[in-house]
Amino acid sequence: MPISKLAAFAALVVAVVACGNGGAGTTSTTGTKHGGTLTVAIGIDPDTLDPAAQTTTTASQIVDMMVERLYTMDANGATQPQLASDVPKVSSDGLTYTVPLRTGVKFSDGSPFNAAAAKQGLDRLLNPGTFKTQPGVLSVIDSVTATDDKTLAIKLKSAFAPFVAALTQTNSAILSPASLTQQGNTAAQVKVPVGTGPYVMKERVNGDHITLAANKDYWGSQKPNYDTQNIKIVPDDPSREALIRSGGADVIVAPPLSDLPALSQDSNLKVLKAKSDRTLQIIFNTVSTSQPLLQKPEVRQALNYAVNKDEIIKNVMFGNAVPLDAPMSKTLFGYCSVGTYAFDPAKAKSMLQAAGASGMTIKLGSPTGRYPQDIKVATAVASYLHDVGITVQGPQTSDWPTYLGKVNVPPAQAAFDAHFLGWAPAYLDASQQFEQFRPDRIPPKGLETSYYSNPTVTDLINKAAGEVDQQKRKDQYCQASKQVWQDAPWIFLYNQSFPIVYTAKVTGVSAFPNEKFDTRFASPA
Amino acid sequence: MLTYVARRVLVAVPTIFGVATVIFLLVRLLPGDPARTIAGVLASQADVERIRHQFGFDQPLYVQYVTYIVHLLTGDLGISTRTGAPVREEILTRLPYTLELAAISTVISVLLGVTLGMIAATRRGSPLDLMISALAVFGLSMPVYWLGLMLIILFSIQLHAFPAAGAQDPLGFVLPSITLAMFSLALVARQARSAMLEVLGQDYVRTARAKGAPMRRVLAKHALRNALLPVMTVIGLQFGALIGGAVLTETVFSWPGVGRLLVDSIFSRDYAVVQGVVLMLAVGFIIVNLLVDLLYAYVDPRIRYS
Repeated sequence: MPISKLAAFAALVVAVVACGNGGAGTTSTTGTKHGGTLTVAIGIDPDTLDPAAQTTTTASQIVDMMVERLYTMDANGATQPQLASDVPKVSSDGLTYTVPLRTGVKFSDGSPFNAAAAKQGLDRLLNPGTFKTQPGVLSVIDSVTATDDKTLAIKLKSAFAPFVAALTQTNSAILSPASLTQQGNTAAQVKVPVGTGPYVMKERVNGDHITLAANKDYWGSQKPNYDTQNIKIVPDDPSREALIRSGGADVIVAPPLSDLPALSQDSNLKVLKAKSDRTLQIIFNTVSTSQPLLQKPEVRQALNYAVNKDEIIKNVMFGNAVPLDAPMSKTLFGYCSVGTYAFDPAKAKSMLQAAGASGMTIKLGSPTGRYPQDIKVATAVASYLHDVGITVQGPQTSDWPTYLGKVNVPPAQAAFDAHFLGWAPAYLDASQQFEQFRPDRIPPKGLETSYYSNPTVTDLINKAAGEVDQQKRKDQYCQASKQVWQDAPWIFLYNQSFPIVYTAKVTGVSAFPNEKFDTRFASPA
Repeated sequence: MLTYVARRVLVAVPTIFGVATVIFLLVRLLPGDPARTIAGVLASQADVERIRHQFGFDQPLYVQYVTYIVHLLTGDLGISTRTGAPVREEILTRLPYTLELAAISTVISVLLGVTLGMIAATRRGSPLDLMISALAVFGLSMPVYWLGLMLIILFSIQLHAFPAAGAQDPLGFVLPSITLAMFSLALVARQARSAMLEVLGQDYVRTARAKGAPMRRVLAKHALRNALLPVMTVIGLQFGALIGGAVLTETVFSWPGVGRLLVDSIFSRDYAVVQGVVLMLAVGFIIVNLLVDLLYAYVDPRIRYS
C-alpha cells in the first residue's frame, strides 16, 4: 500500500480510537459529558434488591438508582416530592393523607406510573407474605386507596407526625406492577427491581458485581450521564483503596480511615466527607445490678467528663467525625444544641468521689469490625476511664451477630455495664433517635439497650409523635433532648462522617446524609 | 477393585449424614439471634418475629432437624435466609470461581513444585538448592493475607499489570492464583525434593547409570514415577487446604467464590448456606481422597486393594 494511503488510514484509525473510546464520550450542549462506564466499589454484597426487604443503606442506595418513591430525601436531608407532585394534604385529625401524583411518568419497562401502581407498592410492603418485608413504622398505615389515576389516599391507624419523612425510606419504593411476573420476579420476592429511576439492572454476578444501564427515557430534569454504572463488591477496605489507586474503580466508599490524610493529598483523588446521621456512644446499663453506682446520673455525667472526645476524633478517627452537642446528629428534624461535656478529668474525679464511686469497676463491651475503628475507640475510652481511677474490664469483643446477641437482652441478662454501639435512623426525624430513650423499647420489645426510663422524656416523646404543629414538635424534642443530656444514659462520643473517595475523572458525585452515596447524575469530568 | 470402590462409596453415606448432623448443631450453637441478624438493628420487634416465623426459626429443634434431613434426602439444601435464593443456586453460581482458582493453583504448585524439587535434589548442596529451599520456607511461612496485599501493591498499584480485585477482568485470576498456590508450591517442592533424594540413592538408579543411561532418562523413566507417590499424598491433602486457603485469598481479592460465601454466611447467620457449603466440602474431600487412592493403585503396581 502506498505510503500516503497508509498514513491516511493510520490517521483515520487513530481518530476513530480517540473518539470512540469508552470514557471520553460526547459533550452535550449544556457542557455535561456523557457516555462510558462508572465503576463504584462498595463493601458488602447486597442480600436482596427487593425494596420491601431492605435493611442496609449499602443495598438501598443501589435500589434507589432504579426504583423511586413518593417522597425522597435531598442532599441536605430535607423531604422532597419524587413520584408525588407536591406535599400531601393532611386531614385535621392527622389520619388521612391525600397525595397528588406526578403524571406522564413511565416505568423503565414502558408501563405507566399511576395511583394503582403506587397502591400496589405500599400494599406489597405491608403484606406479611412478602419475603423478608420490613414495613417498620409504616405499619401505621391502615389502608391505601387509589381515588383516581393521579391521587392516592393513605389512611393511618393513628396520628403519626413524621409520616411523610418515613415515606422517604427505600422500603416504600414503587415497582412496576407488570414486572412482578417477569425476569424471575414474583409478587412475594423481587430479584430484578423495575422502577422509574435513572438506571435499570443489566446484570448481576453474586458476590462480584452489579451492572446498571442508563434509562434513556428517565423523566427527571437531571439525566443519567454514564451509559453504565458497574458496582463492584469489594468487602475489604484496603482492597477498595488499592482498587481506586490502581485505576480499577472511579468511586469507592469507606477506605481505611488511617489512609484518609494521604488520600486527601493525592492530586488524582478527591475525598468527600459526607454527613452521616450515625451517632456513636458508650451506652450505660442504667439499671445495672453488677455495678449499681451506674444508676446515679452524677456518676454517668462524671464519666462523660472523663473522656476526651476531641482527641479520639483526631487520633483514632483521623478527623472523620464531629463531636456531639445533643443526643442526636445535627441533621435530624427536632435537633437542637443542648450542651457539651468538655474534657475535664479533675471534675470527673471529684464528681466520682462525691458520689462514692471512686475506683469503681465497669465491664465494657465493643464489637469489632462493625463500625470504623470501633474496638480502637472503645479501647481509648477504657484508657480515659482508667485515668480517672476506674477499673475497666475489657473492652470484651466479638463478631457483630454475637455482640448484638449479648447486648440485645432484657435487663436481667445484661452482660456488660457499658457497651459501644452506633445508631443511625432510617429517616431524619428525632422520633427515630428517641427509640433509644423510651422504656417501651427495652429488649425484647426493641433495642433500647440502656434500659433508660424517664417519665418526663417519655411524655414529651409521646406528645411529639402526634403533634401536628411543626414548631411545637421541635420544642418538645428539644426539651426531651435537654433532659436526656442531663440524665446521661450514654457517654456521648461523636457523629461519624461517611468518606467517599473518587478520581478527578468524575464529577457530580454526591451523597445523602444517611450514609448513602449518590452517583445517579455523576458525569465524566 | 470394583468392590473396593463400592465399599468406599457405601462408607461415605453415613459419613455425610454425620457431617450434616454435626454442622446442623454447630451453627445453632453460634451465639446471636438469626432473625434479628437478618432483620437488622432498626427493625421493629414485630418485623423480627415475622421473619422468625417466615424462616421456621420458631420451630422446636427436632422439627427443624427432621425437615432438614428430609429435604437433604431429596437433594434440597434449603433456601438462603440472606438472599432468598435456593442454597444450591447460591453455591453453584460461586463454585466455578473457587474451582478455577483451586485448579490453576494446583497446576502451578504441582508443575513448578515438582520441577523445583527435582532441580534442588539433583543439585543438592549447590547455591540453587539453597535458594529453592529458602523459597520453600518463605512460601510456607508467609501469611496469605500479607502476600496478597504485597502482590496488589506491586502488580496493581505500581505496575498496573493486573487488577486489584474482582472477577470481571479476564486477568483477574492471576494474582489470587499465585497467592493461593504459594503454600502448596512450597510444600510440594520440599516433598518432591526429599522424595527425589531418597529415590536417587536407590540401587536401581545406580544400576541404570552404570549401564550408561543419561541422567535425564533415569530421572524421567525411573526416578520421577517413584518419587511422585508421596507427592500425590500431599496434593490430595492440599486440596482441602486450598479450599480453606481460598477463604483468605477470596477476601483480599474480592473473588466471588465459595470461601467468601461461607464467611459471609457465618456472619449473617445464614444457617442453610453454611450447612450446604460444609456438606459440599465434605463430599468434595471424600471424592478427592478416593480418586487419589485409586491413582496410587494405578501408579504403584505394588498396591492392591482387595
